[in-house]
Amino acid sequence: MTTTAPNETEVGTPHLTKITHHNLNKRTASGSVGRALVWVTLIVGALLSIIPMIWLIIAPSKTAPQLNNDPPFSFGSFENYVIAWQNLLTFQDGIIVQWLVNSVVYTLLIVAISCVTALLAGYAIAATAIPFKRTMLITTLIAMIVPPVALVLPLFIQISQLGLYDTPTAVILTSSFYPFGVFLAYIYFTTSIPHDIYEAARVDGAGEFKTFFLIALPLSRGLFGMLAFFSFSAAWVNYFLPYVLLGSAANFTLPVGLGILFSSTPALNPGNGAQQSVIGRPEIALAGLLVAIPILIVFLLSSRLLVRGVLAGAVKS
Amino acid sequence: MIAPYFALLVAFGIVPIVVAAGTSFEPSVLNPGGGPLNYLLALQDFRFLDALINVGIFLALYVPSMLIVVALMSLLLDTVQGRWNLPLRLTYIVPASLTGATAVLVWYFLLEPTLSPYQDILAAMGITQGTQIWTGSNLAWIFVLMAFFTGAGNWIVVQYGSLQSIPDDILEAARIDGANAFQIAWQIKLPLIRKYLVYMGILVFAAGLQVFVEPQLISASVYPGLASNWSLNQLSYTFAFQQNNLGGAAALSLMLLLVCMIAAVFVIFRTDFFDGIGVKRK
Repeated sequence: MTTTAPNETEVGTPHLTKITHHNLNKRTASGSVGRALVWVTLIVGALLSIIPMIWLIIAPSKTAPQLNNDPPFSFGSFENYVIAWQNLLTFQDGIIVQWLVNSVVYTLLIVAISCVTALLAGYAIAATAIPFKRTMLITTLIAMIVPPVALVLPLFIQISQLGLYDTPTAVILTSSFYPFGVFLAYIYFTTSIPHDIYEAARVDGAGEFKTFFLIALPLSRGLFGMLAFFSFSAAWVNYFLPYVLLGSAANFTLPVGLGILFSSTPALNPGNGAQQSVIGRPEIALAGLLVAIPILIVFLLSSRLLVRGVLAGAVKS
Repeated sequence: MIAPYFALLVAFGIVPIVVAAGTSFEPSVLNPGGGPLNYLLALQDFRFLDALINVGIFLALYVPSMLIVVALMSLLLDTVQGRWNLPLRLTYIVPASLTGATAVLVWYFLLEPTLSPYQDILAAMGITQGTQIWTGSNLAWIFVLMAFFTGAGNWIVVQYGSLQSIPDDILEAARIDGANAFQIAWQIKLPLIRKYLVYMGILVFAAGLQVFVEPQLISASVYPGLASNWSLNQLSYTFAFQQNNLGGAAALSLMLLLVCMIAAVFVIFRTDFFDGIGVKRK
């Protein structure tokens, strides 16, 4: 055994061993070049992925002239983050704090409502006898595949007619419709938990709710984490829906507020807004960072969930 | 148990479509008589064809590049098991945290030669001013870049997950038969994750068709007017909020919605993606 290939030593017959060796020798010659290419591609991809984020994290540490003149990845000072934040607070009497609070409150409510309703519905479709089960499932799948953006204008018309325009309720309720969550929960309750368990509970006289709370819910903590992860990452950054459904600045979310900063300060376009505004590029980068960082943190914390394939784990017949 | 979700589904999934369908026949300044003429007028609007072409070019660049890069990167990632696999996956999902308004902000900086971390590369290409990049003919590329970086990482991780579902004995058998890493990736792994890629392609197409935030923000604030009515959704937004033509807006957005729903029905009934979960009649 001259070639080292731990994966391939389990081959049974001498005949097969011979074939494997023959190919291994051929492979090691071209293999190392291939290996190097694979690594170069993966590392270039990784660099391209993190450069924008690193740049955004560093940007508010510099003053506007430093941003222009210093090397792109040089660090300014921590003090400049504080200065940039204080400058942001001068915009419309510190309305950015209100946007931040709105974003947190709306997102928490959306995550709570969407996850609870999706969990219950997924369980109901998977494990209980409800009428029109197949219709329910197909409607949910269609709603899941059609991008939410497609419904924004119809929702606006409906919300206006209901008199809910420019209310937080409008954004929270419309965003809590979570067909993807129902799909994930449905798949989880049909594949990961044996159907016999539900049956056994019922035979023992437990009602649907009792079965759900005593049997299904304790087994679905991982599922709940996954539902919350996707719900949070969609709700926190959502732009189009709150942009269309909300009218007054006091109700805006942080992403919508960021758009307002784009158009009413000279940070990105010197032609905009008051020339004496202190909202410049470091300030607007800090505002962008406030939108991006919570998502990044949630992503990194949820990496355990992403280890198992979302689709592969979900759809297996 | 299903009632709360069912209420949301009806209230914010079905009723808005019905309401918008009603609105789409309402009279407007443009069409005092109302009726189905709203649909025709939306299609005949002088900006419609341009927006359609823009979105068409955008999709023609975006969907294939997503499919190719995501398939390639997830296959490559699958060949490097071990300690570097997880850190690599984590870096790939970092750009997904820069979406919508933040994506516009970040790409404004990345493409601004005086600020960009890529300023040396831009300078080597002869680009020293942002206005050289931000031109009408480049917009499709720029929006593809934004959408690509936002979406690719998540999908790489998802497709990598799909690759993990391939049984080890299939791959082992291929190795014993003398297949090299490239042959295994191309002839075995790729066909086995084909249905996940088809699913992704259709989702990416449907989302791309609705492109709105990036062109809207760019032309509302950064480069005024540069990308106004660039996409079909922007045109529908203009009908509704600038021309007081809610009927036309509803008509146009319902037509876009219909395309997405056809795509959805296609995935559900004409691909094998949802096989075995109780959608198809036995």
